[in-house]
Order: sequence, then structure tokens, then C-alpha cells
Amino acid sequence: MNGDVGRTGMAQSILREISLALSVLAATGTRDAIDLRSLPLTLADREELEAALGRGDVGVVLEAAGKSEIWETRFTGVWWLRHFGGDGRVAAEVIEVTPVPDILSAHPEDISAAATRMAAELEEREHV
Amino acid sequence: MSETGTIGEALIAQGISRRSLLKYTGYLASILALPPMASRAMADALASAKRQSVIWLSFQECTGCTESLTRSFNPTIEDMIFNLISLDYQETLMASAGTAAEGAMQAARTANKGKYVLVVDGSVSTGAGGVYSTNAGKSNLETLKEVAADAMAVLSVGTCAAFGGIPMAKPNPTGAVPVSEIITDKPVINISGCPPIPEAIAGTVAYIITFGKLPDLDHLNRPKAFFGDSIHDRCYRRPFYDKGQFAKSFDDEGARNGWCLYEVGCKGPVTYNACATLKWNGGVSFPIQSGHGCLGCSEPGFWDRGGFYKPLSAAVMGNREIIGGAAVAGVAAGAASVALARKRRAAALAAQAAASAAVVTQEKTP
Repeated sequence: MNGDVGRTGMAQSILREISLALSVLAATGTRDAIDLRSLPLTLADREELEAALGRGDVGVVLEAAGKSEIWETRFTGVWWLRHFGGDGRVAAEVIEVTPVPDILSAHPEDISAAATRMAAELEEREHV
Repeated sequence: MSETGTIGEALIAQGISRRSLLKYTGYLASILALPPMASRAMADALASAKRQSVIWLSFQECTGCTESLTRSFNPTIEDMIFNLISLDYQETLMASAGTAAEGAMQAARTANKGKYVLVVDGSVSTGAGGVYSTNAGKSNLETLKEVAADAMAVLSVGTCAAFGGIPMAKPNPTGAVPVSEIITDKPVINISGCPPIPEAIAGTVAYIITFGKLPDLDHLNRPKAFFGDSIHDRCYRRPFYDKGQFAKSFDDEGARNGWCLYEVGCKGPVTYNACATLKWNGGVSFPIQSGHGCLGCSEPGFWDRGGFYKPLSAAVMGNREIIGGAAVAGVAAGAASVALARKRRAAALAAQAAASAAVVTQEKTP
């Protein structure tokens, strides 16, 4: 991210892409995503995009392989996912157009492992 | 030793959730320039894959490549690569030594015959039968041939392994050569750079595990995802180049204004790497952002090309065709045709030969 160049119009392009993806999600249920890291956004572009999308009902802090901040924008179904790497820098940043991002759902195998672990812990307590 | 279970099972056993894996594949998709929606399929593929056995050999090198990969000590998204591989032999990192260490490598080779990935950092000494660099009573040359014989593929990590690097610089007293000159009967992927970008090392290994095949390579056998664009193409100072605004020295007004460093020797136009996008030290900066031109460290023969501070227009890289192409065309064709790739490879090798010849001539001139 190089913040000394000002707005380039990139934010407007991304907003139009999101708008189209959201229409498709509403009509067909097809999900989409935009990788922000791969785009040559200036700091001003990023601020413009974030301001335009705003924040909606849901905000989540996720701790999995480092910290992530995830929030639904003021446009339902448009989510901003910001994953941090070492030293608190942004390692990956994606806008997902989806009812709920995959990363928030509990995976069946993790649920199975949790069920086994919880049962084992309760059994252990009974023997204490 | 390699484990028999899947990566998914190993992650559960370690208490690492699928969310972590999904986050990592999202990160991988981004650095590999894959569609973001591919991350879920990648996570599913990785969860059901076996951990990839990796044997890492270090030859004539400085350990900078290993430092590059292992730089981060915090449990972060970048460290997930170590959950995907079984690093069965790595002299700098492994606890064991001597016979036990060599035994571990032998066991890994037997258990994963034809399936393990061999990573090599450092060039290979061939002078006097390779005696300039030995380990465990064997020359590096002998070890490379022996271990590569049963490998699925070889990753030449760093410019020394990929192109000979500094050990091969004139006068090359040890007869150093790149890995690809020794191993000619199986795929050799070059991940060049001095050192290479850690994401390029980890991303390439992760790609092989996820998709079960080698990534698309450029004319010098480097993964296109990381070496498809020149530094110049992705440089944030490119607009100054286009406007003809250049720093003439490192302390003039142009340098203070952050103008293009082409005239103080930047090799960005003829150097293919991802420094300008992935950057260094956790994405903090890269040489040009810090005010110094690119040295061209990911290109063959970079050390012998005449001078880091002479502009490319002085033909220090030895090939005006490349320079003209990069300067005039600007954005390089990332997905070059096979014909173009061959032409570039020939041009790059010719440039290296011409530059070496020019330096020799210069040295002989009183």
C-alpha cells in the first residue's frame, strides 16, 4: 500500500464490482469474493472504499493462526475480512459477498473433535 | 519422520481449527494470484492430503535462505506452512546430528521414495571433484546426485542454488554451478533471490501439496506467480519513470522527492521478482521504497554484471534488447508464449555471457 498518491478511482471500480456481485447473490445465491491485496490501492482509495461500505450489524474478532477482524458492511451480505500476520500487519484482506463467510462457520470435523474432547473432559471430572 | 495421517487429522490433533487452515488458504490464494473463492477448495484438498516430506540440503550458502523462511517466531498465518510439511532433514534446524541425523534422512528417503521434495540452498562445488564443500564425509556434488535420484522434484531455493549466485561469481574458485546443471532428469524449480522472498518458498511448496503438480514456470524455471512481473512493472515509483523524473544521486532533490532510481543503478526493469508487491520484513518495505535501487539479485549472474550503481542505459547488464524491451514496453507480458519464453531465456543467458565478457575485457584494459 502506497499512501502518497491520493485517490485513483479504484474504489469506485470495486464498489461497482461489489454491487454487481451482490445483485447476483440476491438473484441466484452465487457467492463471490474480491482480493484487495492484489489490487494497487492507495491509502486514500482504501479509506474511500471503507467509508463507502461502512459497518453493519456484525463485527467479529477471530483468533486463528493470528488475529482477524471481520465485519458485515452496511450492505447486508457484503463482508470485509482483514487477516493480520506477524507484527500486526495485514497479511490478507478480502471482501466476500456471501450470506456468511466460510471462516465463521464451525467445520464438521472440528465439531466432532470438540464433542469427543468435551465428553472426555466430563468423564475425567467424574473421576476426580 | 513423515506421518501417515492427513494434514486435517494432524491439525485436529494439535488443536488447530479448520478456520486456521481456511485463513491460510485464503492467504495462499492471494499470494499465488488465484481466485479468492478457491480458498475453500484448497482447504478441503489440503485437509485430506498427507504431509509432504521435505529434505533440505544446504551447500555453498550463507543460511540467509533458511533465515528468510523461518524469520517469524510468532504463531502466525505465515507459519502454517510448517503444519503442511514434514521437514525430515534440515541441518540448521534439526536437533539431531551425526549418524542419527544422516539416519533420519535415509529413513525419510526410503519411506517416501519418489515422493519427497528436495530443497537445496547453495550452489554446488564441482572443482577438484567437489572437495571444496563436503558434509558427512561426502562432497555436496555426491550428496545431491544421490538424494535427488529418488525425489519427486527439486526446489533450488535462493540465487546460489538457482543460478550459481555469489559462489559462482568471478573467479569462481570452487567451480560452483547451479543445481540445474547437475540434475537434468527431473523437474528443478528455481526460487531465486538473495535471499528469496519467504512467501515464494512457502507458496511454491504449498501449491505442490494442494494441487499435486508443479506450478507454471517462467523461462528460467521460476514460478510465474512470483516471478511473472518485473520489479519495474509493479514499482510504486513507476509513474516518475514514465514522467522522466529521476534521482541523479542519492542525496539530490529527486532522491528526496522519491523519484525513480533508474539513473542511480536500479535494475528493476530487468529483474523479475515479487519484492514490490509482497515486500520484506513482514511487508514493511523493499529496497526501492527504502531509497536504494534494485540490485537484480534474482537474476542469473547479478554479481558480475558490472556495477550496482551504474544505470542500465550504460549496458552494465550486457543486453540492450532486454533493456529496450523493458523500458519501452513497460508492462511485461506475464503469460508469455513458449516462443517468447525461449527467446527471453536465450536473451538472459546471452546477457550473462556478454556481461562476463565485458568485465573480463575491462579488467584486461590497462
